Amino acid sequence: MNVRVKKAHLLLLTTSSLPLLVALQAPAKPSAPASTGEALFAKNCASCHGKEGVGGPGYPKALTGTKAPADLGTYISKSMPPGGKTPPAQATEIAKYIYGAFYSPIAQERIRPPRVTLQRLTVKQFRNALADLIGPDHQALTGEPGGMNGNYYKSRPWDDKNRLIQRKDSTINYDFGTKGPSDAAFDLWNFSAVWTGSIIAPETGEYEFIIQSNQNARLQLNGDRPLIDNRVRSLNEVEFKASTYLIAGRNYPFFLEFTKQTAGVNDEEKKKKTPPSSAFVKLLWKRPKMAAEIIPAQYFSQGWNQNTYISDTQLPADDRSIGYDRGNAVSKDWDEATTRAALETAEYVVANIDRLSGTKAGDANRAAKIKEGAKLFLTKAFRQPLTPEQEQLYLEKPFASASSPEVALKKIIVLGLKSPRFLYREIGSRKDSFQTASELSFGLWDTIPDVQLLQATGRGELKTPDGRRNHIQRLVNDSRTYTKLREFVMSWLKVDDIPDIVKNAKAFPQFDQATVNDLRTSLDLFVKDAVWTPDGSFTKLMTSKNQFLNGRLSKLYGGNLAPDAGFQPVIATDRTGVLTHPYLLSKFAYNEGTSPIHRGVLIARNMMGRVLAPPPVAVAPVAASLQPSLTTRERVQQQTKPEGCYSCHQLINPLGFTLEKYDAIGKVRLIDNNKPVDTSGSYVNSKGETAKFNDINDLANYIANNPDSHAAFVEKLFQYFTKQPIRAYGKDALPNLVAQFKKDNYNIRSLIVNVMMTATQ
Amino acid sequence: MNESTRRDFLRTLGVSAAAMPFLMGLPSFAFGNPAPLRKKRLVVLFSPDGIVPSTFWPDTPGSGFIFKESLKPLANYRDKMLILKGVGDRIRGDGDGHMRGIGCLLTGIELFPGNVQGGSDTPAGWSSGISIDQEIKNYLQKSAATKTRFGSLEFGVMVPEHADTWTRMCYAGPNKPIAPIDDPYQMFNKLYGSMKDRELMKSVLDDLKQDMDKVRSQISKDDQRLLDDHMQLVREMEKDISNHKNETLNHPVPQLEPGVRRDNDNMPKISKLQIDLMVSSFIADSCRVATLQYTNSVGQPRFTWLGITEGQHDLSHEPDSNTGAQEKLTRINKWYAEQMAYLLKKLSETKEPDGNGTLLDNTTVIWTNELGQGNSHTLENIPWVLVGGGLGFKTGRYIDFKGVHHNRLLMELAHGFGHNVTSFGNKDYCGQGVLGLS
Repeated sequence: MNVRVKKAHLLLLTTSSLPLLVALQAPAKPSAPASTGEALFAKNCASCHGKEGVGGPGYPKALTGTKAPADLGTYISKSMPPGGKTPPAQATEIAKYIYGAFYSPIAQERIRPPRVTLQRLTVKQFRNALADLIGPDHQALTGEPGGMNGNYYKSRPWDDKNRLIQRKDSTINYDFGTKGPSDAAFDLWNFSAVWTGSIIAPETGEYEFIIQSNQNARLQLNGDRPLIDNRVRSLNEVEFKASTYLIAGRNYPFFLEFTKQTAGVNDEEKKKKTPPSSAFVKLLWKRPKMAAEIIPAQYFSQGWNQNTYISDTQLPADDRSIGYDRGNAVSKDWDEATTRAALETAEYVVANIDRLSGTKAGDANRAAKIKEGAKLFLTKAFRQPLTPEQEQLYLEKPFASASSPEVALKKIIVLGLKSPRFLYREIGSRKDSFQTASELSFGLWDTIPDVQLLQATGRGELKTPDGRRNHIQRLVNDSRTYTKLREFVMSWLKVDDIPDIVKNAKAFPQFDQATVNDLRTSLDLFVKDAVWTPDGSFTKLMTSKNQFLNGRLSKLYGGNLAPDAGFQPVIATDRTGVLTHPYLLSKFAYNEGTSPIHRGVLIARNMMGRVLAPPPVAVAPVAASLQPSLTTRERVQQQTKPEGCYSCHQLINPLGFTLEKYDAIGKVRLIDNNKPVDTSGSYVNSKGETAKFNDINDLANYIANNPDSHAAFVEKLFQYFTKQPIRAYGKDALPNLVAQFKKDNYNIRSLIVNVMMTATQ
Repeated sequence: MNESTRRDFLRTLGVSAAAMPFLMGLPSFAFGNPAPLRKKRLVVLFSPDGIVPSTFWPDTPGSGFIFKESLKPLANYRDKMLILKGVGDRIRGDGDGHMRGIGCLLTGIELFPGNVQGGSDTPAGWSSGISIDQEIKNYLQKSAATKTRFGSLEFGVMVPEHADTWTRMCYAGPNKPIAPIDDPYQMFNKLYGSMKDRELMKSVLDDLKQDMDKVRSQISKDDQRLLDDHMQLVREMEKDISNHKNETLNHPVPQLEPGVRRDNDNMPKISKLQIDLMVSSFIADSCRVATLQYTNSVGQPRFTWLGITEGQHDLSHEPDSNTGAQEKLTRINKWYAEQMAYLLKKLSETKEPDGNGTLLDNTTVIWTNELGQGNSHTLENIPWVLVGGGLGFKTGRYIDFKGVHHNRLLMELAHGFGHNVTSFGNKDYCGQGVLGLS
C-alpha cells in the first residue's frame, strides 16, 4: 500500500510538472533494412508500376485504392503478374509494403506534397471580421500609448469654466484624502474628474474592470451604456466590477467619471455643515488569466476611437496541433456557434439599423439606404464585388420577400455570415486579385480587407508585383500587423497562453502576482522595441540590451528607479536579448530552482529549429534536497547521463546551462548552492560543427548569426501568418526568403513584406 | 397527490399501516405521478405618486362597499377583490419618502446609507434586502413541480433609463436591484426569440445550400471534403429545426404592433403590449410571478391622452384644496385602474391550459403605489387592491386595518404560495404574523 501511494505521488508529480520531465530525444531514427515486401516490389512489380507505384510503362495509373491488406494480398497472389501467379507468402509481404507505403488513403495523405489547403476562418479571424463588418471600417490605433486625458473640475457642471486641471494622466490610482487633486481651489465637497481616451487590449479574452472608490464613479468602455455605474451605491460598497470581452490590439474608447457630489437632489448647503469626506478612486483590470492590477500607462492612449462590435458568442477553439491556429475542420459545435453569432449580429444590426445605415425614421430614402448598406456588408463579407447571381440570391431575393427592410436585412446578415463565401478563406482562383487582397488582409491582420484595399483591388493595383508590394507595405506598417506579429513572437517564445507563474514565497518573497503582471508588460515592451521599431530585427530581438523596468521591477532586479516610476527603457549590461528577459527565465524554471532543461529545449526547438522527440521514458527530476552538494548544472548533467537520455540532452543541456547565471525568477546570481555558477555551453549544429559559448551572451550572438536559426524563424513566421506550409509555395520559397532576410539585415517588417509577396505570387 | 388519495392508493394495494413508513421513504414516483397542483401566480402592478384618498377608498368596510371614481373600472371584479386600507410602509432609515416608498415597498427592509440625496432626509443607496416577488420566485424555482422557464418576469412601462433608488422596485438581494424590461420588443425576444431564430434560419437554409453547392463545384476535389463536412452539418441543422417545429406552442405567438416607440404619448400602447405579453407568458407557463412597473417613484408621465399636460409628480404635490389637480389625479389613477381591468379581463377570459379554470382563478393581481398620498408623502394607507383567486384569499371585501405594518402583508403573499416564512424584511415589523386574509 505504501509503495502504491508513493507511485501515485510520483505520477501526480509527473503530470503536474510535465514540462520538467520532458527528457528529450533526438530525432535519431535507426534506418531500417529494406523490408522484404519493398525488395520484392522493386524486383517484380516496379518495372510496370513504376517506383513507389506512381505508374509505369506497363500500367500508367498510380497504385492507390481502398482494399484491405489481406484482400490486396489475395488479389496479387491470384492476378499478378498479369497471366501469372505470386506465391501467397510473397504476395502478403508485397501487399503489406505497398499498403503502408503508398496504396492506402492514409499513405497517400502522408506522401502527398504539401499544398495550399482550403481553410475556414479561425476563431480570431471570425471575431475580427465581425468587428470590422459591423463596426466602423478598420480602426488603427489612435494616439501613442502611455496615458489618457485627465480633466478635473471644481464642482458641477463639467464645463471649461469649472475645469481647474487638464493634463495627461498615466494611471487612475488616486487617494485624495479630504483634500483636492491639487492646491487649486477645488470645492472639497463636490469636485469631479473625468478621464477619457482609449484602452488598448494586449490579449484577446475576458477582461474584468474594477473601480475602487468611496465616491460616485461611472465607467463607459466600448459601448453606449456604462460598463460600471456606481452613481447610486450603498455606502458599504467601495468596489465595483464588470467583465467584458476584448479583442487584442484594438483601441476601446472609454471614459471614467468621478465625483464627490451626491446623486439626486442638490444638497450642497447641508453637506457643507460637516467637514469634507475622504475620497479615493482607482481603476484596475484583470487581463485574461492574470491578477488584478492598476491598469498600467502603456495600455492607455489619449486618442479616441469608435466602439468595436464584439460578439458575445464563444466559438470552439481551433486546431493547434501543428503550432498555430488554423481552420482545417468544422464541427457541430462550430456550426452552432457560428449560427448563434450570425443571429446575434443580425439582432444587433437591426436594433441599430438607422445609425449603421446612415439614415433615420421618416427619411424618404430609408429603405434604399438600408439596401445600400446591406450590399456593402455583403461585399465586405465576401471580400469582392457581388456577381449578378450573388446579388440576386443574397440581396434582391430577401428584399423582395420580406415585409420590411428590417426583416430583409436580418435575413441578409444571417445568410451572409453563414455563407461559405464569408466563412472560408480564399475559395476562388488564386489569380483573382480579390483573392489576393483577402490573403493579404487575413495574413497580416487576421481580418477582412478594409475598404481602401478593396477599392485599390478594384482598380487593378494588386495585379503587378510592384503594386502588390506597395499595398503590402501599407498593411504591414499598420498597428494591426504588429498585433499579429506580437502574437507570433509570444508563441515562438512559448508564452502566448499566458502561463501561471508562481514561485516559492519563502525563497522569493517579493515575487508576487503584481510582479508577474509587470514582467509580462515588460516583455511586451521589449518585444515591441525589438521587432517593431524601424530598426526592429531578429538581431535586436536576440541581442538587445534594452530592458523595460518600472519602480517595482527595478527594486527586485537591481536598478535605481524611483519606487513609483513607470515603465522605461534601461540598459541592462548583464542581459542579452529576449532569452534573458526575466519573464521567460521565470517561466522556464521551477518554483525554486532553475531549469536548464526547459530553457535548453526552448532554444533547441524554437531558436535552433531542431526536432526533439518526447523523452523515451518519463523521468521525475531529482529533488535538489536529495543531492545537497550539487549545483543545478551538476545535478541535471548527472541525471541525464543514461544513454537513452543523453542523445538529446547532449544537445539540450549545454544550451540551457548558458543561462545558469539567472535564478528561478531571472535575477542575476553568481553562486548556485555555494559554488560559483558555470555558464559555459556549446552547440553542435546540423552540419556537425561545434560552437563554444562562455555564457548566454555568446549563444545569443551565435543565434543571431546562425542561418539555421534564421530559416527556422522565417518558416515559423510564414506558417503563423499564412496558415499554410511554406513548402506548398515551392522548394525555393524558404531559401529565397532566408537569403532576402539576410540582405535586409534581418529586418522583421521587411521579412513580413516578403512573406506576403511569396504567399501571393 | 394529497393525503387522502395516497391513503386510498395504499388501501387498494392492501398494504398494511405497519409497512407505511418504508413506503413513505420511497420517491414519490413510486405512487405514480402526483396530480398536478393548482398553479398559483402573483402579479404586482405599480403606479407612482400616491392616490387621492377621497376618490379612492370606499366609505364603508365590509362586503357592501361602493366604488369611488378611481376604482370604478374594476367594478366588475368586486367579488374577486380585496381592498386593504390601513396597511403602511413603516420602514424608516435613510432615503426620502419616495425612495423608501418604492425601495421598501416589496422588500420591507431599510435602504442602505448611500450617496443619493432625495428631497428630504438622509442620502441612501439600494435596498438592504430581497423583494417578496423574488423571494417567492426563488421558492417556486427550487421545486420541480413549480419551476418555470423564467420564474419571474419584470415588466415596465416607461421606466427611466437611469438606475437609481427611485426607479427600482424589485431586488434579487441586498444591493441587487433588478431592472424591469420596459421595451415590449425586448420582452418579446426574451419570450419568443429562440423560436423566431429557428424560423429565420429555416427561411435561409435553401438559399444557403444552393450557394454551398455552387462553391463546392468551384474548389479542388481535395478541398471539397471540408465543405462536405460542413454541408452535412447544415443538413443536421435543418433536421434539428424541423424537429423543433413538432413541439407546438400552446398559444399563438402574440402579434405585436410594430414600431411603437418608447415615448410618453405611447404609454397606453406600451401598457397594452406588455400586458398581452404577460398573459402569453402565463399561458406558456414561463413564469408564475410578474411585476409591471409604470414609470417610477416620483414618476412624471404626462397623461396627454387624457388631456392632462402637467406631469403626474408635479400634480401630486398640489394641495387638497386644488380641486382641479385632484380631479386630474383621480382621472390618472382611474387610468391605472383601467390597465388593471384590461389585465383582469384577459386573465378571466383565458382558460388554464391544464383545464383548471381560468387564469384569473389562479392568479392574484395586486395594484400598489409607493405612497399613500402625494401631497403629504405619507407611507401610511398605501393602496393595496388585490384581485383574483391565486393565493386563496377571501375576497369581496374592503378591510381597514387601521395602521399595520406592510411586512405582514408581504409575509402573507409568501404564505399564499405555501412558503411559510416567519418574518420578511425587517423582523421588528413582522410581530403579529400574517394579516389573515384567507
